[in-house]
Amino acid sequence: MTAIPAEDATSAHPPKAHGFTRTMSAVLTNKLAVVGLGIIVAFIVFCYAGPLIYHTDQVHIELSQAALAPSAAHPLGTNEVGYDQLGRLMVGGQTSLEVGVAAALLATFFGTVWGAIAGYAGGLIDSAMMRVVDALLAVPALFLLLFLASIARPTPGLLILVIALVSWLGPARLVRGAALSLRTRDFVTSARLMGGGPWRAVFRHIAPNAIGTVVVNATFQVADAILILAALSFLGLGIPPPAANWGDMLSSGISYTYAGYWWLIYPPGLAIVCVVIAFNFLGDALRDSFDVRLQKR
Amino acid sequence: MTGFITRRLLQSLVVVLLVTVIVFILLHLLPGGPARAQLGPRATPTAIAHFNHQMGYDRPVPIQYWDWLIQLATGNLGFSTQFNQSVVSLIAERLPKTLVLTILSVIFALAVAIPLGILQAVKRNHITDYAITFWAFVFYATPSFFLGVVLIVVFSVYLPILPAEAPQSSSIGVILSQPGGLILPVATLALLTIAQFSRYMRSSVIENLAEDYVRTARAKGADERTVLVHHVLRNSLIPIATLLGLSLPTIFSGALITEAVFNFPGMGQLFWTAAQTQDYPIMLGITVLIGVVTVIGSLLADLAYAVLDPRVRFA
Amino acid sequence: MNPVVTVVDLHTDITLRKGVVHPVGGVNFIVREGESLGIVGESGCGKTMTALSIMRLLPPGGKIVSGSIALGDVNLTALDEAGMRKVRGNRIGMIFQDPMTSLNPCLTIGDQVSETVLLHREVTREQARERAAEVLDLVGLPHARERMNSYPHLLSGGMRQRVVIAMALACEPELLIADEPTTALDATIQKQILELIDDLRRRLGMAVILVTHDLGVIAGHTDRVAVMYAGKIVETSPTPELFANPRHPYTEALFRARPENVDPDRRLYAIPGLPPDLSDPPRGCRFAVRCAYATDECRAQEPELTASNHSFACFHPLDSKQQVAPNPPTPLATTQQAAPVLEVRNLVREFPVTSNGVLQRKIGAISAVADVSFTVSAEETFGLVGESGCGKSTVSRLLVAADTPTSGSIIFDGVEITGKSNRELRKYRGNFQLMFQDPYASLDPRMRVGSILREPLVIQHRGSTVEQENTVVRLLDEVGLPRTAVHQYPHEFSGGQRQRIGLARALALRPKLIVADEPVSALDVSVQAQILNLMRDLQREHQLTYVFISHDLSVVRYVATTIGVMYLGKLVEIGPAEQVYTAAVHPYTRGLIDTIPLADPERERHKIKAGVRGELPPAMNPPSGCRFRTRCPRASDKCAAEQPPMVPFSEQGHRAACHHPLRSPIPLLPSTHTGAAPTTPATE
Repeated sequence: MTAIPAEDATSAHPPKAHGFTRTMSAVLTNKLAVVGLGIIVAFIVFCYAGPLIYHTDQVHIELSQAALAPSAAHPLGTNEVGYDQLGRLMVGGQTSLEVGVAAALLATFFGTVWGAIAGYAGGLIDSAMMRVVDALLAVPALFLLLFLASIARPTPGLLILVIALVSWLGPARLVRGAALSLRTRDFVTSARLMGGGPWRAVFRHIAPNAIGTVVVNATFQVADAILILAALSFLGLGIPPPAANWGDMLSSGISYTYAGYWWLIYPPGLAIVCVVIAFNFLGDALRDSFDVRLQKR
Repeated sequence: MTGFITRRLLQSLVVVLLVTVIVFILLHLLPGGPARAQLGPRATPTAIAHFNHQMGYDRPVPIQYWDWLIQLATGNLGFSTQFNQSVVSLIAERLPKTLVLTILSVIFALAVAIPLGILQAVKRNHITDYAITFWAFVFYATPSFFLGVVLIVVFSVYLPILPAEAPQSSSIGVILSQPGGLILPVATLALLTIAQFSRYMRSSVIENLAEDYVRTARAKGADERTVLVHHVLRNSLIPIATLLGLSLPTIFSGALITEAVFNFPGMGQLFWTAAQTQDYPIMLGITVLIGVVTVIGSLLADLAYAVLDPRVRFA
Repeated sequence: MNPVVTVVDLHTDITLRKGVVHPVGGVNFIVREGESLGIVGESGCGKTMTALSIMRLLPPGGKIVSGSIALGDVNLTALDEAGMRKVRGNRIGMIFQDPMTSLNPCLTIGDQVSETVLLHREVTREQARERAAEVLDLVGLPHARERMNSYPHLLSGGMRQRVVIAMALACEPELLIADEPTTALDATIQKQILELIDDLRRRLGMAVILVTHDLGVIAGHTDRVAVMYAGKIVETSPTPELFANPRHPYTEALFRARPENVDPDRRLYAIPGLPPDLSDPPRGCRFAVRCAYATDECRAQEPELTASNHSFACFHPLDSKQQVAPNPPTPLATTQQAAPVLEVRNLVREFPVTSNGVLQRKIGAISAVADVSFTVSAEETFGLVGESGCGKSTVSRLLVAADTPTSGSIIFDGVEITGKSNRELRKYRGNFQLMFQDPYASLDPRMRVGSILREPLVIQHRGSTVEQENTVVRLLDEVGLPRTAVHQYPHEFSGGQRQRIGLARALALRPKLIVADEPVSALDVSVQAQILNLMRDLQREHQLTYVFISHDLSVVRYVATTIGVMYLGKLVEIGPAEQVYTAAVHPYTRGLIDTIPLADPERERHKIKAGVRGELPPAMNPPSGCRFRTRCPRASDKCAAEQPPMVPFSEQGHRAACHHPLRSPIPLLPSTHTGAAPTTPATE
C-alpha cells in the first residue's frame, strides 16, 4: 500500500449530458413542464402559423356580419363589428405574447442589472438602490400603469416599456439577494485568492449561479405581463383597435355578457388562462430542475 | 428589538419620501405639467402660463417639491375641477369602502388559504393536493375582471341569488347593511389572494415538516395533530406575515379592478373614473395615499414578524 | 440482566424516486438493562436508519420490511401508530445530532420539555412544568428554573443538547437512543455531554444505544460495540475485547485509519474504493471488493455472524499477528533548519460590534485574534488547533490575505503582505493558497472540473491554453483522479473526491505555502486517511509548506511538525509537535488532549473527569489577564490581573503563556533560536 489508493478510477462515471441539455432533459421528465411547454408551443403555432392557413380580414369593419354565432363560415362566430373571432384570436394572440415576452425580457434584464449592482456593491449603495425599489413597489402597479397610460396614447412599444417599468422590481430584489449570498461563498473567495478581480467574480461565478433564478422568474414575468396587459385593456387603456389583443377582445366581449354572446368572452378568456397557466407550469418545473441540481451538488 | 423597530421606521420614512418624489415626477411628466393637472385638459396656454406663475411652478424644481411636500403634509391634496370638490374630501368618502372591501377579502382569503395550504402539505402529492394546486393555478391565471364576470354570470344570471352590482351608497353603514352585495366583490378579490397564499402556505408547511424539530416532537410521542398545531403552524405562519405585507400593492391593484367590475363606489373606482377623464389631482392624491398605506402596511407586517418570531424579538 | 430491546433480523427499505435502497439488511442485537451498546460505522452504513427503525420514525418512503424489534415483551414492528406514540418519549427517548435545529425555535425550552410529560402522564400543566424544571436541573442546565422561559436560540450548542436530553429523559424511559449526539459539538463539550449520558444511565438504570462514526466515542462510553458496514453488523463484542482484538478486516481498517495510534513516519491505512451502492448490494461479503484479504469465496458467498460473545462475519478473520503489523512507512520531510517561509508578528484582528440602532455606533469589538506571533519554516507543517471560536479560521483567512488584520504583520518569503492593495497582492497570490473545509461549497457548482482547475492558471496568465490543459491533466494525475474528470461537474463526485479537486486547484499555481482550514473534518475516517496521505505525498514531491488548521489534536499531531494551540484569540502554547502533545505545559493544551476520545477503552477510563470543563466565554469582552482563567483549574488572582508572557520550556522552541504551567520553564536565554520574538504582554 504505497501507491495512492485508486479510489476514483473504479467509480468514474461515464460522461453525462451537461448544461442546457441536462436542464432540458430534467424539464422534460416533469409532466407539468411538458404540458406547459406543449401548450405554449401549440399557441405559438396557432397564432403565427394559423393566419397562413386560415385567412381572415382583421382590418375592415363589416357590420352586416356583426355578432354572428359560430357557424361553418366562422367557427367561433364574429364579433360586434364583424371581425372573424377565430382569426382575431390568432392575431390578438401575437400581440399578447409579444408584449408579454418583450416586457418580461426588458424587466428581467433591467432588474438583473440593478439587483446585481446593489448586491455586489453592498453597503450604502445597496441601501439606496433598494429603497428606490421599495418605493416603486409601494405604489400599486395598476395605479402607476393607469396613470402612465392616461398620459400618452398606448402603443405596443409604450405598453412594453410601461409594463416593464412596474415589473423589474421583482427580479431586482431576487438577484440582489442571490448576489449578496453568493459573493460570500467559498468558491467566489477562492477565485479572489487566486488573484481574480471583481469582474471575474461577477461574470464567471455569481452570474452563472444566479441565472437559474433569473430564468425561472422571467418565465413567471411573461405570465404576469400578459395578465397586466389584459387588465389595462379592461380598464380601457389597452392598444386601440383595429389592433387586437386577447385582453381587448375579452373586455369588449364582456360588455355583451347579458346579450349572451358567449363566443366573444370564453375563447379569449380561456386563451389567456391557458397561456398564463402554461408559463407558470414551465416556471415551476424549471425551478424544480434547478433546485435538484443544486441539492445534488 | 427596539433597534430593529427604529431602523425599520426610518427605512419606511425614506420610502414614503421616495414615493412622494415618484408622484412629483409623475406630476411633471404630464403634458403641460401640474397646471394641466389643476386646470384640466381644456385650459388655454395663456391660462397655463398664468397659473404656473401664480403657483410658483416657474421656480426651481427642489423648491417646488418642498412646497408641494408641505402641502401634502398639511393634508392638501389638490382640488378636482370635475367633481368640484377637494381631493381630500373625495378620498375621505371613498377610502373606508375600499378598506372594507380589502380587509374583508384578506380575512376571508387567510381563513381559506391557511387551512388549504396545510391540507395540501399534509396530503402532499395526493389527489387532493393536485386538485387544489390546479384550481390555485386557474384562479391565479384568470384576469380578475374575467373572474368577476364569470361569478356574475353564474351567481346573478343563471342562479339569480346574488346581486351583480355592489350596493350604491355614499354611506358605509348602508353598504355593510347589504352584505349580499358584498359577497361577489369580496370573493373575486379573495380568490386571487387565496391562490397565492395557499401555495405559499403549502411550501412553508412542507418546509417546516422536514425540519429536525418536527422529528424531535414525533420522538416525544406527539401525534400528527399536535405536531401540526403546536409546532409547525406557528413557524409556518411567521413568513405569511411578511407575504401579506408584500402583497398589499397587488391587493390594491386587484381592488381597483374589482371595484370597476362591480361598480363598487370605492377609491379604485374613483381612480379609474379620474383616469378616464384625466382628472390628475385625484389620481396623484390617491397614488400618494396608497403608497403611504402600503408602506405602513409592510411596516406593520414586519413588526408582526418580529413579535411572532422569538429569534427577532429577543435579538 | 433482562433484555430491554431485542432486534431480530431487521430489514429496512427506503423507496426513493430512483429505486429502493436497503440501508438496513438484517441486523440483530440485544441491549440489556443499564447496558450501553455502541453502533459504529461510516456515513451511509445504516446505523442511523437502524436507530430510526426502532423509533419507527423513518424518513418519507422508509419502511421496515421484515424482522422484529421487541421492547420488553412488546413487538414494536406490530404496534399501530397510536401504540407506537405511547412508546416514543415514554419508554424510548431519542437524542439527535444537531442541537441547533432539533429544538422548535418558537417555543420556550420549558414548554418543550414539559410537552413530553404532558403527552405521557396524567398531570396538570403546572406539574409538568415542575417536572421539566427538575429534569433540566438534572441534565446540568445552569439556573434551570430561571431559564424555563428562554427560547432555544439564546442557548449555546452544548446547552441546547442538554435540553434535548432533558426532553428525552423527562419520562424516565427504559431505552435512550443517542444518534451522533456530539458530532456537531466541540471536543470539550462532547466530553461533558457523553459523561452526562453515562452518569444518567447509571442513575436511571436505563439502556443506551449510542450511534456514532467515532471509535473513540465508543471506547469510553459503551459496554458492547456493533460495527456496521453496508447495512449489516460485521462484528460485535464487548467493548474492551473488540478494541484489543479486532477480527473483521473492516474493523481493523477503521482502527488503522485513525491518526492517533500511527507514528508520523508511517502511512495511514486508507481503505481503497467506496462503500457499495445499497440499492443493489453485491453478492457475497459486502466488504470483499475493498478488502485486502478477500478470496473468491468472499465474493461468492455471504459470511454469517459467528455465534459467540465476540462474533464477526468473515471467512478470513484476522489473527493477532496481522493485528499488530505496523502501517507501511512514509519518508518524512526532514528540513527542520530551513529558512522561515512565513513570519507572523503580533497579529490582531478585531471585528467591530455595532449597536442595533440607527446610527450603528460602535459599541465594542470581538477580539478574534489577539497578538499572535509564530514562524513557519520551509517544508514543515505548522498545525494550529483550538475549539471553534478560538480564532484559528480567522488566522487562516489573514494568512492568505482574504482578510486584513487590524494590526500586526505577515511576512511571506521576506515580503510584507499586510497593507498591500489587492492589485499589488495579485502577483504574490500564486505563492500561497487556501484549501477550504467544505468540499461542497468551495467548488463552483456550474463549472466543470477542467475549468475549475484551469481558472487559477487563467487568472495568473500561466502558459498557453494547451499548456494549461496539460497542467490540468497532470494535476488530476497527482491527486489520483481520472482524467475524464475534466468534463464532469463537482456534484458528480463524493466528498473525498471533491476535496482532491480542491487540493489540485490549490496546487495549480505551484504555491510554496498551502493553508488548509479543516481540510478533513467533513470526511469519514477512511477518506480522511486518503486525503492526509495524499497531502503528505504532495508535500514531499513539491517541497510544500502547510499551515494545517484543525479542531482535532490527534490529526494535527500526526501531520504537523510544529503545533500551535489557540484559545479565544490567543496563542497559548507552541512547539515541536511531539513535545506539545506528550509534554504539554499549558493547562488548556493538557485539557484539550484529555478531551479527545481515543480508540482505547483502557486509556479512556483513566481520563474520566479530566479535560476542559465549561464553555468558551464570549469573545466580545474576553476575560482579563489570561483568557483561559475562567475554565482553568489552576487559576489564581494573578491570572486575572496579568497577561502571562510566552516563555520557553525547551531548547527546541517549546513555549507557552501561563502563570502556573504544568512544569517549570527553562531559564531564559538570549533568544536567537528559530522561534519568533517572544510576545510582549500587551496592555489592555
